[in-house]
Amino acid sequence: MKKIILLAFFLIVSSFSVNAAEIKFVCYQDSNECDVIKEMSVVWESSTGNTVNIETVGYQVVREQLENLLESDAAPDVARVTNLGGLNKFYLDLTPYVDASYWEKNYGATLPWYRKPSGDNGIYGWQTQLTVTGPYVNVTMFEDADVEMPEEGATWDDWAEALRQVKSELGLTAGLALDRTAHRWAGPAFSYGAKFHKDGVPILVDEGFRKFAEVFVGWHEEGLMPAEGWPAGAGTAYKNAAPLFLDGTVAMHMSGSWMLGNYDKNITDFEWKVVPIPCGPGGCGAMPGGSGVVAFSSSKHPEVAASYVDFLAQTGSAGHFASSTSNITAHQGLQKLGIDYSGVSPVVSAGLSTFAANAGKAAESTPQAYWFQGYNKNFAIYGIVPDYITKAITGEMSLDDALDAIDADVAAKIAE
Amino acid sequence: MLDNFLNINNWYLVSFFYLLIGFLLSRDVVGLTPKLMAIVGWPIELSQKVAGTKVLPYLFLFPNLLIFGLFTFMPLFMNFGFSLTDGASINFSSRDYSGLDNLARIVSETQIDVGIQNMEDDKFMAAAADTFIFVIFQVPIMILIALFTAIVLNREIVGRGFWRAVFFYPVMLSPVVVAFLWTLILKRQGLLSQTLIDWNWISEPIQWLVDPSWTMFWSVFVYTWAHLGFYMLILLAGLQSIPRDLYEAAEMDGTSDRRVFWRITLPLLMPILLVVTVLSLIKAVQAFEELFALQVGWVSLVSYIFETSGLRGQKTEFGLGIAAMASLIVALVLIILSLLQFYLTRRQVKL
Repeated sequence: MKKIILLAFFLIVSSFSVNAAEIKFVCYQDSNECDVIKEMSVVWESSTGNTVNIETVGYQVVREQLENLLESDAAPDVARVTNLGGLNKFYLDLTPYVDASYWEKNYGATLPWYRKPSGDNGIYGWQTQLTVTGPYVNVTMFEDADVEMPEEGATWDDWAEALRQVKSELGLTAGLALDRTAHRWAGPAFSYGAKFHKDGVPILVDEGFRKFAEVFVGWHEEGLMPAEGWPAGAGTAYKNAAPLFLDGTVAMHMSGSWMLGNYDKNITDFEWKVVPIPCGPGGCGAMPGGSGVVAFSSSKHPEVAASYVDFLAQTGSAGHFASSTSNITAHQGLQKLGIDYSGVSPVVSAGLSTFAANAGKAAESTPQAYWFQGYNKNFAIYGIVPDYITKAITGEMSLDDALDAIDADVAAKIAE
Repeated sequence: MLDNFLNINNWYLVSFFYLLIGFLLSRDVVGLTPKLMAIVGWPIELSQKVAGTKVLPYLFLFPNLLIFGLFTFMPLFMNFGFSLTDGASINFSSRDYSGLDNLARIVSETQIDVGIQNMEDDKFMAAAADTFIFVIFQVPIMILIALFTAIVLNREIVGRGFWRAVFFYPVMLSPVVVAFLWTLILKRQGLLSQTLIDWNWISEPIQWLVDPSWTMFWSVFVYTWAHLGFYMLILLAGLQSIPRDLYEAAEMDGTSDRRVFWRITLPLLMPILLVVTVLSLIKAVQAFEELFALQVGWVSLVSYIFETSGLRGQKTEFGLGIAAMASLIVALVLIILSLLQFYLTRRQVKL
């Protein structure tokens, strides 16, 4: 009996001994991002003796559950997020733990996206990638329909006309699909002249916004856009239109650079490509953005969590991540040097170049896109616009009433 | 230290100590089976020895009470708390008391915080109106069909067991599976549109779940299909509890089937019908899962609450409070409806 008790005490004491820290990382994955980060983490683990427990989840988990987790004791130490400014109050300021000059030099353009609206110079997150919205086109459909694809500089109206012809020739359900969120809607709206803000204060419904809203509702009425897209969602719900492109319902999908890996992996029965962002009287509008890896101030191991994020942000890691995930890097040094995309397929490589060019065009012709990306309440606006525009499409509201409602609802939400 | 000890990775230690204590306490027990039982069940035996048998029922009730308290009462009280406070956080320490402001935000024409047109009242009223339409069609239709089905399946028909299973089967399906099945049928390229096109009844496929003139019809239809079996089963049990001798006496008197139904079956089934009505009414007002997964073209009250609360990643400063207040309004309406039902039925029984 004494031996058993002694053994039990030994087991207890041994279980209490604290080894190196383990941090929890909630990582959402569009394509293979978390798998690549897992591979990269092995180096950090072996050099520091700490471990990182990476939990790969869907985007919805990060979007819908992370904030509640952060307010409870179940918060992870590190997460990959897209609501960069909206979660600021939970972030760990990495400044005391990292070489601030390295971060400012290489990520200076994206660090403000994570900061509080004014007077904040903290370093909060590693921008894993720059994303930019843009259209994917089913090349096979254009060829089968014998319709010439509009060239660079073409307007949304030119593309709409070409898609009408493809739809008509091939008897398609629709021509164009767009994810159900104002994030995707904003790019074309910028092209039609929507400003979205005046001196940093959101003003959604201006002349350009109204013009694009009319066009957008018209595209649904004539059947150029499918009923399975925006009208199939209710309220502020997000709806991904990728399945409509994958199954051949539409010939164009207005999505973003994050879909490159997915489409490269899953499209096997038709040819596709990324095309330059269509333009309009307001410029060639595309929404920049991206995701970032942040550490949280609630972490019991802030030093370890900061060290991990810092490791990921280093030039070698960032370069490996960009080339392995076919993403546009946010690392300014690497942007100058160029990323080795030799391992990716030609269509992805071409797509990356087109998206990078789209981002450049947007920065020049529609700078409001960068303001909207950095606006800390943009997520509320992303939901409000589809809520009311859908009602205008289905005839529940007149377009005028819907636009008035957008103005009123946004004003109420941003005043909170 | 306690956290470390209770860590899931230390389960083997916890189990070892549990069994060790059981082993030490059961030294006097003779026989392998009783000894094993004593080693495993020592907390029960110990509590019985310490507190006697009177405490034992409460001990058995405790786990259930704990779960009920944690997952029913605690959220209920938290909901009250959210409805009377403002803030995006779910932690009460970060929320400010605001009294009935959230009620004003739901019912006022003017937004009380910024003094402009309020949109929240329109959203809530639209959800309430749509849910009302759904309920007034779905509940009576389902009860009538469930009653009819129960009466038919209570008779000596061929394959009665099979038909009972057929009608009950949808109840066993998860709401997501129900929605997936019906989406396959009702989407643009789905079975229904294609069949109707083949029959030349329609020329263009119809988006049954999106088309504003059809979305409510199919919401009622699918929801009724999914839940009919449960209520049919309750009514079937009610029918079988009616004494056979009443029917035999009526038969001997030469009473018509119609008179038997109105004078015997329906009055004796009335208490069960009341239960079914109240349950289905509450369930219909709370309708969410199937409708959400079907992506119907209208927002139910529960969808409105779910969406406004910010649980879908668009948290706002007042959203959680407004959603909590809206849920209390719905609860109040349900309580009133249930009390009315009870009152009417008691009155009917007395008459």
